[in-house]
Amino acid sequence: MSFAPAAHHVQESAALRALRAEVRAFLREEIASGGFVPAVDCWLNSWDEAFSRRLAARGWLGMTIPVEYGGHGRTFLERFVVTEELLAAGAPLAAHWISDRQIGPSLMKFGSEEQRRKLLPGIATGQVFFAIGMSEPDSGSDLASVRTKAVRTDGGWHLTGSKIWTSGAHRSHWFIVLARSAPLDPEHRHAGLSQFIVALDSPGIDIRPIVSMNGHHHFNQVFFDNVFVPDAMLLGREGDGWKQVTSELSYERSGPERLLSTVAVLSEMASATQRGDLAPDPELGRTFARIMALHQMSVSVADALSSGRPTDQEAAIVKVLGTATEGDVAELASLSVATGQADDGLARLRDMTATALLSRPGFTLRGGTNEILRGVIARGLGLR
Amino acid sequence: MDDAAHGAPPMIEVPRIDAQLEQTLEQVFSTAAGLGEGSTDLHFDRVLWSTLAELGLTRLTSAATGAGWIEAAGLLRAAGRHAAAVPVAENDVLAGWLIEQAGLPDDPSLIRTSCVVDAFGAAADVPWASAVDRVAVLRESADGWRVADVPVADVALTRGRDLAGRPTDGVRIDLAKHASAKISAESVRAYDLHGALARAVQSAGAMERLLAMSGQYVTERVQFGRALAKFQAIQHLVADIASETALANAAVEAAVFEMASGHGSLDRVELAVAIARSVVGHAASVTVRNAHQVHGAIGTTLEHRLHEYTKPILAWRGEFGSVREWDARLTAMLSRPGVDLWSFGVPADRG
Repeated sequence: MSFAPAAHHVQESAALRALRAEVRAFLREEIASGGFVPAVDCWLNSWDEAFSRRLAARGWLGMTIPVEYGGHGRTFLERFVVTEELLAAGAPLAAHWISDRQIGPSLMKFGSEEQRRKLLPGIATGQVFFAIGMSEPDSGSDLASVRTKAVRTDGGWHLTGSKIWTSGAHRSHWFIVLARSAPLDPEHRHAGLSQFIVALDSPGIDIRPIVSMNGHHHFNQVFFDNVFVPDAMLLGREGDGWKQVTSELSYERSGPERLLSTVAVLSEMASATQRGDLAPDPELGRTFARIMALHQMSVSVADALSSGRPTDQEAAIVKVLGTATEGDVAELASLSVATGQADDGLARLRDMTATALLSRPGFTLRGGTNEILRGVIARGLGLR
Repeated sequence: MDDAAHGAPPMIEVPRIDAQLEQTLEQVFSTAAGLGEGSTDLHFDRVLWSTLAELGLTRLTSAATGAGWIEAAGLLRAAGRHAAAVPVAENDVLAGWLIEQAGLPDDPSLIRTSCVVDAFGAAADVPWASAVDRVAVLRESADGWRVADVPVADVALTRGRDLAGRPTDGVRIDLAKHASAKISAESVRAYDLHGALARAVQSAGAMERLLAMSGQYVTERVQFGRALAKFQAIQHLVADIASETALANAAVEAAVFEMASGHGSLDRVELAVAIARSVVGHAASVTVRNAHQVHGAIGTTLEHRLHEYTKPILAWRGEFGSVREWDARLTAMLSRPGVDLWSFGVPADRG
C-alpha cells in the first residue's frame, strides 16, 4: 500500500520561459491598447471571438494540433505555458476554450480522418467553436446515468434527450454529446455510451439559456428531439463513450484553469497594497504562496501527463486544492473591501470581488465536485 | 513563432537524490530510537548518530563531500519521516556551514549546533545545545557579523525543551573570551534561509509519515462492522492529509531546488523558502489536526507514536520565523512598487 503521492519537481527549460515572455509581452500590449480588460473566471465568462482570432494569428490556438491539420505541432507543455499566462492575465478565452482544450485533443485521439480534416483547421484559426454536453438534469456527478438516447437510423443516429450546464452552446457551432447508444446494463453501467459530434444548427435542437446568479448567460440547457447525426459524426467507437470521456480527465482536472480563475483579483489586491489603498495583510502572502505551490504541482502533473506517466491522484489533488484556493481568493478580497467608500482606490477591486464571489460556488463544482475528487484521492490511497 | 522551441527538451528534470543514497537513508533512519518508554523527553540518539557519522552523513554538505542541498534535503526528509532525535540540520546546513563560511578550523568529528546571540551573548531556545560539543555562535558587532566556535563547556546553559520534547536550551556566552571570524551579511541571510528550509523539509517528511500512519490506521480499525476507511467522512479527512502533504512537498521541492542551484540570487531563494514555509506551516494545521481526528482517543496518548510526528511539525513551524511572519514577508515582497504578482512568482526569461 503506497500512501505518499510522489513529489516530482521539474524546472522549465529556457525555451518554455522564452515562450512565457513572448506571451506576456503580447498580453501587456493587448491590455495597454484596450484589447481586453482583465477579468475574473475569464475562461468561462469572457467571450471575445476577435481576441480568440488574434491568439490564433500568433499560433496560440490549436497549438498541439499537427501542422497537417492546420495546427502548430507544438507540445502539450508549450500549450500549458501559454494557457497559464493567458489565464493569469484574465484574458477572454471563453469562445475557443472548449474547442482548444478538449476537442482538438479528443479529435486527434479518437476522431476519424474526415472529422479531423473538417474540424481541426477551424479550431486552430478560431473560426469553429464547440460546446460539450455531458451532464443532464438527472445526471450530474454520476455521468454513467445519462439518459439522452441515440437510436440507430438509416445512415446515422437519432438523438433525443437534453444536456444541461453547456457553456456557450448558444454561440458555438458544434456540440459533443455523450449519449446512451445501447440500453443500460445495471451490471456494466459504463457500457453502451457513445460520443457524437452534433451541428448546433441541426433541426430538432432547442437551446434555452440558464442565467447564472450573477446575471451572466453562459450556461444552457440543450434539448434534442430526434436530431439526426450522420454515421460519420460518431466520435471514436460506438460504446466507448465512457472510456473516451474519462481518458482525458487528468488533463481537465490539473489544468491551470483550476487554480487561476481569480488570480487577477489577488494581483489587484497586491497592486492596491502597493498604492497604499489596502493595508498589508499576511493573508495576501499566504494565498499567493498556495497558488505558487499549486502552480508547481500543476506543472509537474503536466510534465508527467506529457510523458505518459499516470497522475490521476495528483491531478485530483490539484483540482481539490486549486479550486478551493480560487474561492479563498474571492473570500479574502470580500473580507478586505468595504462599500460606501467613493475615493478609496478600490473600485476596480470591488468590481472584481463581486464577480469572484458570485462565481465562487461554481469553482468547486464544475469538472467534478470536490467531494467526488476526494473520493478519487481516497481510492488512490487504497481506502476504497 | 519560436521555432527554436521545437525539439528542445520541454522540461529540465531537476537532479534527484541518488536512488542508492535514498535507500541508505531510509534504512539508517528507520533504526531511529524515538522517545523512551513513558517519557515526553527526546534524548540525543547517539547510536543513530554514530551510524550516520560512519557513513559520512553528518556533514553531508561540507565542501569535502561535494554533496549539496538535494542530498541534504533527502536526509532531512528521512530524519523527519522517522522522528530521528539527532541534530542533523543543526550540525550540517547550519553550524557546519557557518564554520566553513567563516573559515574557522573545522573538526568534523565534533557535533555542533548554532545560534544567534544578542549583545550580551545570550540566546533562547537553542536546539540540542546541551547535547552537542560546540555551538557556532553568530553575532552582530560594530564591524559586522562574526562567528565563534564555542565549546559547550564554556556555555552557561539553561535547560529547556520544546513541545516535541527536544532539548532547546538557553545559552549565555562570554563573547570576549572567544576568538571569532568575520562573515558576510549575505551569509547570515543564507543561514536563516537554511534553517527555515531545513525545518520545512523535516516537516514535509513527518507529514508523509502522518499520511502513512493515518492510512494504515483507518484501514485496520473496525467500527460499526466496517473499517474506518469505508466511511466517506474518514476518507475525506485522509484525502485532505494527502492533498496538503503533496502541496507541502511541491513547495519544499521547489525551494530545495532554488537553494541547490547555488546562491546566485538570494532573493529567488528567499521567495521559494518563504512560499515553502507558508505552505508547510498551513499544511501542518490540516495534516496534524486530521491525523489526530482519524486516530481517535488512542492517538492522544503517550503510548501511541502519533505524537512523535505531530509534535515536531508543530514545533518546527515556529522556528526561524512564525508562519505569520513568513506570510507577511511574502506580502511585503508583493507590496513593493511595480511588482506584478504573477510574473514575480513565475519568472520568464525576459519582459
